[in-house]
Amino acid sequence: MSDELIGIIASILLQASPLIIAVCGETLTERVGVVNLSLDGSMLLSAMTGFIAAYKTGNLAFGFLMAAAVGAFFALIVALASIRLRQSQVAVGFVLTLLGDDLSAFLGQNFTRLPGPTVQKLAIPGLADIPILGPILFQQNLIVYFAILLTFATWWWLFKSRPGLRLRSVGERPEAAFARGVDVNRVRYLYTLIGGGLVGVAGAAYSLGVKIGWSEGHTRGLGWIALAIVIFGGWSPIRGALGAILFGATKALATVLQRTFPEVSVVAFNALPWLLMILVLLVVSSDITDRLIALSPRPMQRPLRRLLKVSPPKALGTELVEG
Amino acid sequence: MKGMKGWVLFGVLSVLALTLAACAPAATPEPAAEAEPFKFGLVLVGPRNDRGWSQAHYEGGLYVEENMPGAEMILFELLNPADKPEATLEGVVDDMVADGAKLIFTTSDEFEEDTLGVAEKYPGITFINVSGDDALTGEAPANLGNIMGRMEDMKAVAGCAAALATQTGHIGYLGPLINFETRRLTASAYLGARYCYENYRELNADDLEFTVTWIGFWFNIPGVTLDPTEVTTNFFDTGVDVVMSGIDTTEGIDVAGQRAAADEVVWAVPYDFEGACETAPFICLGVPYFNWGPAYLETAAAVNDGSWKQSWDWNPPYWEDLTDNSRTAAGWVNGEGLAAELQAHLNDFISGLASGDINVWSGPINLQDGSEYIAAGAVASDSEIWYLPQLLEGMEGPSE
Repeated sequence: MSDELIGIIASILLQASPLIIAVCGETLTERVGVVNLSLDGSMLLSAMTGFIAAYKTGNLAFGFLMAAAVGAFFALIVALASIRLRQSQVAVGFVLTLLGDDLSAFLGQNFTRLPGPTVQKLAIPGLADIPILGPILFQQNLIVYFAILLTFATWWWLFKSRPGLRLRSVGERPEAAFARGVDVNRVRYLYTLIGGGLVGVAGAAYSLGVKIGWSEGHTRGLGWIALAIVIFGGWSPIRGALGAILFGATKALATVLQRTFPEVSVVAFNALPWLLMILVLLVVSSDITDRLIALSPRPMQRPLRRLLKVSPPKALGTELVEG
Repeated sequence: MKGMKGWVLFGVLSVLALTLAACAPAATPEPAAEAEPFKFGLVLVGPRNDRGWSQAHYEGGLYVEENMPGAEMILFELLNPADKPEATLEGVVDDMVADGAKLIFTTSDEFEEDTLGVAEKYPGITFINVSGDDALTGEAPANLGNIMGRMEDMKAVAGCAAALATQTGHIGYLGPLINFETRRLTASAYLGARYCYENYRELNADDLEFTVTWIGFWFNIPGVTLDPTEVTTNFFDTGVDVVMSGIDTTEGIDVAGQRAAADEVVWAVPYDFEGACETAPFICLGVPYFNWGPAYLETAAAVNDGSWKQSWDWNPPYWEDLTDNSRTAAGWVNGEGLAAELQAHLNDFISGLASGDINVWSGPINLQDGSEYIAAGAVASDSEIWYLPQLLEGMEGPSE
């Protein structure tokens, strides 16, 4: 493998890392049955908050902490509105999206285009020298290590641990979980907050590492992409991470194509990854895909359905009706 | 949950729509009137503390305030469609004139056309458009002049430093948008790089790769330009080991600093602002910077005593000492990343430029399409440099 290809793959992983973090967070949230649709807004606001906090104090950890707090706060509003006030999660989330966008533009206006502190790369001694894998996985930015560990930790927690089982039961059959003595709403609050906090971390991962700095609309659109990837990923962190990497790859491809076809407008290439996401969303959720799968040879149908179709937690977006 | 998918799809679609849509400016605020000692306006395209283009102008304004008794700056930052879509140059100038400004610097090529408009609207106020050429072409009314630092020489020095350092023989140039100014600056960097690659490294200059990627504006505007962080990352991934910046902000050196932290052998040459190396000093080869103070001070003094005459100034560096900020219009400071033996070569190159023994703009020079631009034995005139129509042969990247 050429150094060039290795370098590009390593960068795709870097590009994908904040998305992976956000996808893990949102997957946790949706697995307990809550849709936090505010991702695009909360990511912008936390990217801004993280940048300013780190810029003012010079302390990166503080930046990430504040960003996580902002993300968790937005998630708390969603949780309160739906669990306490029984309002539509989708509507509240959508309004928060717009609020986060405008608020970040307003509050961050004196901090645009400034050079701030950045998260650095860290080569892991020993492992970094492995050919091919070393440069891709072990000479990476700290954000990448965090995203990879988080993906596996989330997967393990969801599917291999006891609390994870309870978590999923709350998202699939809340009434049954309730009958077994699980405090459904408490579990929902908990994972909505954790998920929101991770979305906040993802925002700061952009402004402090992957898309350095802050300007209005700095991460605009990426929250929607994260939401789309959660669906594409079938509410599994590992498949979600692969989706984020696929998205990162199209972004990298857009940069390469831009250089190869300089006469085509930059805007066209910037639009490319979004078009791809729309296509993917349509494929995984459309009935047409079902019909196409039904046309394929019988032994192929099961694996194809597993690959192309996803189904959400059954109680997603609903409230627990107690008693 | 079909409903949610619909919302997500709607969200992605609306972002797509916004990505495809262009941006549009809007209306102007109203002025009020009064007058005072000597006030001058400074309009910046970016923030005053960007460690780049805008900060260099801001420091120029401060220099005038420090060195001219009674001088007072009226500042307007971030005048660009991304940050202040509702603001226009005319509105900003209306306010500055109402506040008593006698002289207004509009410090970006973005403001060139609008500066013509406001100069006609306010014939009693002196306007300086930085980097423009309306006073040269005769389009400008008598109260509008142009100032630019002769950065071409410093970009040649910067290119030389890059060529001295590169181990892969591949330099990446992080370009803003494409116009005469950016073409000639990028070309100057390339010519400087070629000269030093050949004469000090004793390598074949035709083997030197020099790739230019234009992001589309002077700085990153999410969704509109290429992301300079990504472009720089991509440079380093594709064999570039020195990134030269031509944009207003510092992403180039920021990313280089990140990469170097994992022991990658990379360097950066930032741009515009004297202190630009500070983000990542150890991998900084040096910075070609603008020093607007002296020219601004001279202009302010002339406007104040009534002796100002329209001119188009392309101010040279002060070769005796490129860091003498009371004299030089364009400077160069060595960075810590430039090894001592390379510094010796670079100093030799600089003194060659100073004495005139070296002129990187001497022929033969071909344009990117292969046509001859400067014949062998000839030297490019100022206007041939200023109005460079294409990048040069050997440079990779679009010319327009």
